[in-house]
Amino acid sequence: IAGVAKSEVQARHRFQAELEFVQCLANPYYLNFLAQRGFLKERPFINYLKYLLYWKEPEYSKFLKYPHCLHMLELLQYEHFRKEQVNAQCAKFIDEQQLLHWQHYSRKRTRLQQALAEQQQAQQPPQPHGNAAAK
Amino acid sequence: MAAAAEKSTKERLLSVLDDLEVLSRELIEMLALARNQKVPQPGEDTQILELLVQRDKEFQELMEVAQQQGKIHQEMQLLEKEVEKRDSDIQQLQKQLKEAEHILATAVYQAKEKLASIEKAKKGSVSSEEIIKYAHRISASNAVCAPLNWVPGDPRRPYPTDLEMRSGILGHMANLPSNGVNGHLPGDALAAGRLPDILTPHYPWQSSDVSAGMLPPHHGNDFSLEPPGHNKENEDDVEAMSTDSSSSSSDSD
Repeated sequence: IAGVAKSEVQARHRFQAELEFVQCLANPYYLNFLAQRGFLKERPFINYLKYLLYWKEPEYSKFLKYPHCLHMLELLQYEHFRKEQVNAQCAKFIDEQQLLHWQHYSRKRTRLQQALAEQQQAQQPPQPHGNAAAK
Repeated sequence: MAAAAEKSTKERLLSVLDDLEVLSRELIEMLALARNQKVPQPGEDTQILELLVQRDKEFQELMEVAQQQGKIHQEMQLLEKEVEKRDSDIQQLQKQLKEAEHILATAVYQAKEKLASIEKAKKGSVSSEEIIKYAHRISASNAVCAPLNWVPGDPRRPYPTDLEMRSGILGHMANLPSNGVNGHLPGDALAAGRLPDILTPHYPWQSSDVSAGMLPPHHGNDFSLEPPGHNKENEDDVEAMSTDSSSSSSDSD
């Protein structure tokens, strides 16, 4: 019984570790870090990346806080992408794109709010005039 | 067959007419001869007359036959016209039937596609409550949508920052002297960098309380073995992990 409990604890620990690691993959500078130390070329590591794809399943993906990591994980399955990670400019580019994408919805929301505010302003002034003319 | 009979009737008529002509010519010659000579040939004129009468009877009969054949021929023409009309009706119906079949085939095909997509959608269905909970979690921490007051220089990012990474269990694992934790490579990777020993507040992305009952899929400890089957470069798109690894039951390793 103790053995079972211990392996369960181990498994839970592994779950947490893998959860953290897979999300670290969302950080392009971390990918650059891994590439420069040659991890992305090692066969065991590549196999591990493939194994990590289980995080795409809904019962696992609901624990992810940084969903960008799944896209990175998918891209990392391709050798060409792995090779590119050595370049610092690649990491910078990815970072920029991520930030832009990240800001997309906030920008959209502010634009909508602005548009709404302008619309309301446009509606406000004509009304009192209209009433005056009716009288 | 009518045409052939007519021809032969016609031929027969013509031949009878020819006979008549020949016979009457002979008769007239005989009569002319008889006028010149005092001695007429004894039975020949009777013979010829009889032949004439016979031929004439034949002629009359043939005329009647020809008349009847004409009537029949007319009837046949009428029937042929009817047949043509019916034929065109059938062709019209055939065309319509073909069209109908085509339309039905299209409808059936589209219905099948719809059913297939319904099945597919059902397979991927997720409870809406879970989706809302998840949406809350990832938006509250600004993980997928930038905070409205974000400016360049703000340290917040859509991915875990250095600080967050070090304060997780991976960061702590890197500080352990032994490497007997499943031969875990990412722990080594973090250890290769400079990592201070911080016990900073627990970030929610590590979600230990949320994932209380969750276990990772079973895997052999050795990732240096080539997985069975394919190489990534040969595949067109990324396939999800094989289904037997997505169970969440605990495997005693």
